[in-house]
Amino acid sequence: MAFWKKKEKEQIPSAPYTKGTLLIQIFMTFAAVLFIAPILIILNYSFKTKKELYLTSPLALPSSLQFDNYKKAFDKLNLATTFTNTLLYTAVSVLILALLCGITAWAIARCKAKFFRFCYVYFIIGILIPYQALFLPIYMIGYKLNLTNTRYGIIFMYVATGISFGVFLMTSFMSTVPIELEEAARIDGCSVFRTYFTVVMPLLKPAMATLVIMQAFQIWNDYLLASLYVSKKNLKTLTVAIQSLFSAQTSDYTTAMAAIVISVLPVAILFISLQKYFIKGMTVGAVKG
Amino acid sequence: MKQKKKRAMEKNLEKQYFVMVLPGMVIFTIGLIVPMFMAFRYSFTSWDGMTAEKPFVGLQNYIDLLHDADFRAAWWFTLKFTVCNTIIQNVLALVFAVALDSGIKAQKLYRTAFFIPCLISSLIVGFVWLKMFSNVLPALNDLLGTNFNFLLLGDGKTVLSGLLIANNWQWIGYWMLIYLAGLQSIPAELHEAAKVDGANALTRFIHVTIPMLAPAITICVVGITTGSLKVYDLLVSSTKGGPGRASTSIIYQTYATAINGRQYGYGSAMSVTLVFVLLLVALIQVKGLKSREVQQ
Repeated sequence: MAFWKKKEKEQIPSAPYTKGTLLIQIFMTFAAVLFIAPILIILNYSFKTKKELYLTSPLALPSSLQFDNYKKAFDKLNLATTFTNTLLYTAVSVLILALLCGITAWAIARCKAKFFRFCYVYFIIGILIPYQALFLPIYMIGYKLNLTNTRYGIIFMYVATGISFGVFLMTSFMSTVPIELEEAARIDGCSVFRTYFTVVMPLLKPAMATLVIMQAFQIWNDYLLASLYVSKKNLKTLTVAIQSLFSAQTSDYTTAMAAIVISVLPVAILFISLQKYFIKGMTVGAVKG
Repeated sequence: MKQKKKRAMEKNLEKQYFVMVLPGMVIFTIGLIVPMFMAFRYSFTSWDGMTAEKPFVGLQNYIDLLHDADFRAAWWFTLKFTVCNTIIQNVLALVFAVALDSGIKAQKLYRTAFFIPCLISSLIVGFVWLKMFSNVLPALNDLLGTNFNFLLLGDGKTVLSGLLIANNWQWIGYWMLIYLAGLQSIPAELHEAAKVDGANALTRFIHVTIPMLAPAITICVVGITTGSLKVYDLLVSSTKGGPGRASTSIIYQTYATAINGRQYGYGSAMSVTLVFVLLLVALIQVKGLKSREVQQ
């Protein structure tokens, strides 16, 4: 897939800026404002006091910038614990995924034996059947193997459910890794493992970055698996805590809005700083190589 | 003799590669494949999730499903949601992508604006739109002196459109980016050549752009379909499957039956129907891909 190598194409203004383009620009501006509006409203609400919520118009700005809601959200979400938990689950899972998917995909791409073609198809099943469809047996097996309400249990499941996409992404990247280097290493007497860790893995960095970002964003936002696997207070994730906050605070939802801002901020920062890798991961297979 | 040695070496190599694949295979098998078979197995029992014995009931669960009005309603909602989403999201994402690719200024700014909603967890999206429909948008009526009905999630007739708005808001930017990448990978010469041949913008779009976008279209259609079939998080925080059962998706219904209702066997049968539908979608996808490979 050649598109991995391709740099983002320079934007060549093929046609002059005509009236039609201006019209499109106006239309798109309108659409973009509509898309951003709910986000601004969340931000606006997160600074409102309870009084302002009931008395002033929902669209009015708060009279002063208050961080009371954020303080309340901090306590209600048990943020110190839930944030650390979510961060831990996400970081460890994506790290394992990056290591595991890299090595698996490389073996699949390099070994021509029939078994490895089967392996590839086997992993793809996980993309065709998303884990949400199997949440019930996944919960049952977790229960059986004592994985529920443990940190390693939920990390194990995030790895197991993320591995399909990871192998798919990494295998598509392998064609850009020059095979000559590996052969040279092999002739020098490197074992397959050493070849991978010393020669191949350094070359996989861009693909690994993509994988890490894509999966981190999914695990960070996951609700179903977390709600099934962790019920203990000290193991809860941010999304699970937010859901209980939502159901407890239906009338005074300014705190909930502050909680939303807190939970979205890390992902938003990650995305904005690493946009390039994110988009690459999303568009694998969408572009003819 | 030499050949024998070479084969032995190859075998050795293969063994090493096999060791590399093994951990991933084991984790994946335990985490996803074994559960799939468990769902099949339990779907033939009337297990309640607690007792050690799992009474075998044969096809009884599946026969019951056929007569279960709630189950059928859940599938009906899920299918409506899926079909509407697939059409609306694909069309709008493509329109937005084409508009962004038409040479307007500050393309990246728009791209980010449309993309940001999909960074938010579906659970949060559900809650945000619940409040949008019930509190924020009605204020617009007061402001503009209009009388739109914004309480979409409170009525069984409009709940689908309300959820579609929320879901489309969240995901259009994502699929738009995929279409945009596809559009930008089309060589400019193709368009030039078509222009020289006298094709206008519309014919160029239909005969050059669409065929060149085929891989992106496949990804988007399948992605949106499977994504909509598994809708759950969005409902938990917004409608809770209601009003009544008007927005109960198949996963929501399975959750209610199995986890809350302690009917694991019956719930497993529900999961199996979803797996079958997903496999069907996958099969269609594979067929579509094959036929295109022939064309090339």
